Amino acid sequence: MNASNYARWRLAGYLLFCCLILIFPVILNNDYLLNKFMRYLVFGILSAALSFSWGYAGILNLGQAVSFGLGSYAMAMALKLRTIPIQTGAKGLPDFMVWNDVKTLPWFWEPFHSYAFAIFAGVAAPMLLALLLGWFMFRGRITGVFVSIITLAMLVVVNLLIIDQQRYTGGFNGITDLTTLEVFGVAFDAYSANTYYLIAGALCVVLLGGLAITQTKTGLIMQAIRDDENRVRYFGYDVAAYQNFALTVSAGVAGFAGMLYTLVMEFASPTFLAVPLSLSIVIWCAVGGRSSLIGAALGAILVTGVQGTLSESPAFLDTWMLFMGAIFIAVVLFLPEGLIGLIDIGVEAINRRRARTGEDRSKRPAMTVSDIALERSKRVREG
Amino acid sequence: MPVLLEMRDVHVSFSGFHAVAGLDLTVEQGELRCLIGPNGAGKTTALDVICGKAKAVAGEILYRDRNITRWEEYLIARLGIGRKFQVPSVFKDLTVRENLRVAHCKKLGIFRNLVSRHDGGSMDGLEKLAEIVGLKDELNRQARRLSHGQTQWLETALLVAQDADLILMDEPTAGMTSAETHKTAELFTRLKGRHTLIVVEHDMGFVREIGDIISVMHQGRILAEGKIAEIEQNPEVKRAYLGSGGISGA
Amino acid sequence: MADTLNQIFTGLSIASILLLVSLGLAIIYGTMGVINLAHGEFVMLGAYSVWLLQTVFGLNLLICVVFAFFLVAAVGWLVERLIVQHLYKRPLDTILATWGVGVILQQGVRLSAGANLRYIKMPDWLTKAVPIFGVDVSAYRIFIFLLTVALLALTYFLITRTRYGFRLRAVTQNAEVARCFGINAARVYSLTFAYGAGLAGVAGALIGPLKSVSPDMGTNVVVDAFMVVVVGGVSSLLGTVASAGLLGELSGLLAYLYNDTLAKALVFFGVVILIRIRPEGMFTVHVRRG
Repeated sequence: MNASNYARWRLAGYLLFCCLILIFPVILNNDYLLNKFMRYLVFGILSAALSFSWGYAGILNLGQAVSFGLGSYAMAMALKLRTIPIQTGAKGLPDFMVWNDVKTLPWFWEPFHSYAFAIFAGVAAPMLLALLLGWFMFRGRITGVFVSIITLAMLVVVNLLIIDQQRYTGGFNGITDLTTLEVFGVAFDAYSANTYYLIAGALCVVLLGGLAITQTKTGLIMQAIRDDENRVRYFGYDVAAYQNFALTVSAGVAGFAGMLYTLVMEFASPTFLAVPLSLSIVIWCAVGGRSSLIGAALGAILVTGVQGTLSESPAFLDTWMLFMGAIFIAVVLFLPEGLIGLIDIGVEAINRRRARTGEDRSKRPAMTVSDIALERSKRVREG
Repeated sequence: MPVLLEMRDVHVSFSGFHAVAGLDLTVEQGELRCLIGPNGAGKTTALDVICGKAKAVAGEILYRDRNITRWEEYLIARLGIGRKFQVPSVFKDLTVRENLRVAHCKKLGIFRNLVSRHDGGSMDGLEKLAEIVGLKDELNRQARRLSHGQTQWLETALLVAQDADLILMDEPTAGMTSAETHKTAELFTRLKGRHTLIVVEHDMGFVREIGDIISVMHQGRILAEGKIAEIEQNPEVKRAYLGSGGISGA
Repeated sequence: MADTLNQIFTGLSIASILLLVSLGLAIIYGTMGVINLAHGEFVMLGAYSVWLLQTVFGLNLLICVVFAFFLVAAVGWLVERLIVQHLYKRPLDTILATWGVGVILQQGVRLSAGANLRYIKMPDWLTKAVPIFGVDVSAYRIFIFLLTVALLALTYFLITRTRYGFRLRAVTQNAEVARCFGINAARVYSLTFAYGAGLAGVAGALIGPLKSVSPDMGTNVVVDAFMVVVVGGVSSLLGTVASAGLLGELSGLLAYLYNDTLAKALVFFGVVILIRIRPEGMFTVHVRRG
């Protein structure tokens, strides 16, 4: 299978996936289940965003949850300001502010009266933060491991700040009790098909758009940077700018996913901005396939889908996390390209069989699929 | 021919060790300059400091009369200076074709490259280049699967694709057979004129085949400079290569 | 005057705890280039092992600390042998695998010991306050400070004056060449990882009585330790000490002026700005690049 055939098959796979998720509500007739699937798809977007910066540019953003959380809070703030207060009867102040003795709406809440601003902020704020952090890190030639640590530290700090400033952010409880989003006369209720189509549509756009970007020369340079960033500099490319681009785009998409998540869950909470979630995103991405947008998305949908189907109880959750931790280690050690990597192994096996038929058999010994898998993992292990 | 590169009294030191100590080098446009010298003479460091990999602690480096002494590498590369390293450094996860595309760096900006077409007309030129270095059949192969010799050729191809005005080569024939060395010599002879080359080498046969002017480095500075015949007769050069039977045995 | 002294002493105490917590991480990263994201969980394990020993056997804290060292060191040794040793050529993946280990440890503790806060008793003779230059300082914090200094001295001695330390330094400089001289690099790595883990366990055991013990106490700890390592560079123990001192005093001061959370945030921003100006850390010596 040569390169352009592979590209065609891959595009077909992406399109098939998009069609499947778009016709899904037609098959399914259960609002509650639909809501669950919306969650899985949002996680798919989030995971694909991480794959863009990690799998393609080599930037492992351990604090992806910051972007996600900021987006979700942006949407929650806008919805909260339109929620007619029930118990408090306050003059347009969110209930938790009244409980915390806040007299007037803080200045940074004011612009969220406008949906347009909120949606813009939900994407722009994470991007701005990523841009800023990226400028400090990448211009300072910080790479690899240290980038990951710093993004993780940023996550911890932001999480603490949000919880600490509970007068303005709702603290531990987050921002709850939200009205339904309504734009252009369309209501996006957490259990309606409208919201599902919005999310599924967003996932399709992210996947196809992302695929397109990775096929451009910019995408290629990102991959070259992942391979050997210093060598790329000697061709004249501004590597720091490309790295920042990857990080910022990834953050923006994650922020958008966060806004969608608020619609699905009907609240925003500091747990959206916390280490366990960020860890989960990395696990989904690794299990599905870090270097493939659709692989990462499928990984998220698969893992959260199985998790959601098995149980929702907190006791189960602890055991599940333990299990996922072990799976994660196994994937990192033995299947670094994730489940999607299995497809590549299969393709290679087919290619070798085809190559053999055109050559003298004595030259190439037969290789089984397990041989190829072993060779691949050995090569990856040796870097 | 006008002067392309001028190094004046350049010093490079690593924690007290003076790798380059007062290097003066002038290279004219279109030249093919060979830089030779015993091990530890500072030849690789000289290339490093030109392309920005190492920083000079004193002295000046002028490229087309522009002082580039402490510039960052990617800005130096944009001026038209390309570098081939001693250790093969191609992009192992990318295919040969993709490697060449990256090296073809006329457009450097993120957004220009976002809208650039996947298969531009330049692809033909790159395929021809692949043919010249004998990698036409490997275009879709991952670079990590190439043999050592093929990797060397890919590196050379990357440099040609980069189309730099000044090309710095660090031991390009290391590990090559004599046939491959000869082929490399032909390629370099074709390149000079339109491009300027500075080649660090140990293989004297190769140097003899391609070199106009040879610069001999020793202990971080230029010991002698001239045509190959003059260099071979120079007593100081012989002393520097002490014990190796003169530079012809190096 | 008393206020300033109080400030200085608080800062010193925080600094010594920071150093205690980061020493293990710095050693492992400095010698093996491995960022151990399970470091926080090793600290947590140390605290829990003390709690367990105290609750079941009623042992004195000091004895428990010694046990904690060996227990967590053993866990660390296992982790290195089973997982980390396969990933030396893949530093980013080492972070991930050790993160996974941390998750398993945290969940394991949560499932077996429960998620409730646990408490470790301080030895009675350390609960008083000792007046120094007119300022009352907690005896326990002085104890931690002295013990940290002792551990630092022990580590220095180990690295510079023992055969193990010599091998460690050889392997750090150039593992391939060290192997050619017959040094068993694999053994050095696993011993070092175990030692770093053990130090983390001691840290957990000692800071247990100060704050409560919970399965997720590791995360905060690990971020603090990272900041110390990022600022201090990894080429010398002195760098780690200076860095812990600086960050300790700084966060103590900021916590006094504002609050703990803001202090952490400001320190983080400070570190980010610092790495832009001096990416190799504040206290690294420039090494010749081969």
